Amino acid sequence: MDEPALIQSAQRGDLDAFNTLVLHYQDALFNTALRILGDDDLAADATQDAFLSAFQHLNSYRGGSFKAWLMRTVTNACYDELRRKKRRPTTPLEPDTDDGDEMDSPRWLADPHLTPEGQAEADELEHAIQHCLDALPVEFRAVVVLADLQGLDYTEVAAAIHAPLGTIKSRLARARIRLQECLQGFAELLPAAFRLQEERS
Amino acid sequence: MNPRDLELLSAYLDGQLNSSDSARLESRLASDESLRTALDNLRSTRGLLRQLPSRRAPRNFTLTPQMAGIKPPTPRLVPVFRFATAFATFLFIITFVINGLISLSAPSFAAAPAPSVYSAAAPLSASQESAPAAPAPALPLAAIVPTETSSPRLMSAAPMLTQTPMSSGAGASPAETSTPEIALKSNAPQVDHTQSENVQRNESSLPFDFEILFGILAVGFGITAWILPKNNERSFRKKWNKK
Repeated sequence: MDEPALIQSAQRGDLDAFNTLVLHYQDALFNTALRILGDDDLAADATQDAFLSAFQHLNSYRGGSFKAWLMRTVTNACYDELRRKKRRPTTPLEPDTDDGDEMDSPRWLADPHLTPEGQAEADELEHAIQHCLDALPVEFRAVVVLADLQGLDYTEVAAAIHAPLGTIKSRLARARIRLQECLQGFAELLPAAFRLQEERS
Repeated sequence: MNPRDLELLSAYLDGQLNSSDSARLESRLASDESLRTALDNLRSTRGLLRQLPSRRAPRNFTLTPQMAGIKPPTPRLVPVFRFATAFATFLFIITFVINGLISLSAPSFAAAPAPSVYSAAAPLSASQESAPAAPAPALPLAAIVPTETSSPRLMSAAPMLTQTPMSSGAGASPAETSTPEIALKSNAPQVDHTQSENVQRNESSLPFDFEILFGILAVGFGITAWILPKNNERSFRKKWNKK
């Protein structure tokens, strides 16, 4: 794939060229959105919005890492989704008792991680990590997702997040420590993963 | 462990420290057990994150021209038809205005220049009723004259018929505005001239024919200019969907 040529064509309005880039980067953008948002549907919406925004603002791309530039659009789309979600929080419908009063703690409103099914899901590495990622502040989450999951270097992360390099270093270190602490809670559930840690230490 | 050391360890892990900072940290790591453990824990955490399976996108996020707001190129004929529409509309308005002015400046011929279908028929029906002796040209248009519009014209046409002498010379003149002047010269009603007057009015309603023609052309060109891009867009989308 001749990326610079495709980008140039896309900047001239060639949608076919842009769609070739979409097909190449869609997995990376979707995974980034998925790890930041923690929801498949929201992640798909954010990814679509990001590509649309990328096409509309393609002329603002002035070289450098195109992946980092795309990551910036998807990160912004994720922030938008989170703001939207905050503005319109989904309130679960609480079932009424026979007397017409709302049930205080219906079974199906319990924390899924506390149910047997939730526990079983948390056994999996992916769910445990996603659970810990969701617990991070969003600005930490974005940095750790871009650096450790997408493999961007600090400069690219700084470009994607639009923050100074020092901030990226600091956020990444603190995010890793918080994740480490969170994952300690899954130590018994994730023996294989933590065996790796034990072997190394 | 202080945050500064954690930042240093994290950056060291990613190879982001400069050589002097890196050398200083390595010497500390050699002597500090807790620092080494912290580094290993950070490495394990990073390793866990990197192990996270990458999901495939649930669908393709390619953009369609509609999503991207791309419109198909306008067919070359469209501007031509747009101009033709504007020009025909302009001519239609001109003829409409001319007919309107004629009817205003010659109130005695009020029936003739009315800018509508029944305008030509109005004087005919007027002549039929006000001058029964005159041969009434049986034009089919008279049948569609609405009564409410023909009635006032009958009133305006009646004095005209009694006052218009219409000499043969005047009859040859196509200028309607000059007719009232001629009519003032003589008060003798000449019913026999009613038919030639009707012919005159038919001649004077030539712009009316143009009016219809320009109106039809304007509508026709307009519809064509509207349909052409729609068809083009439809075929553009079909072509895109086939890809």
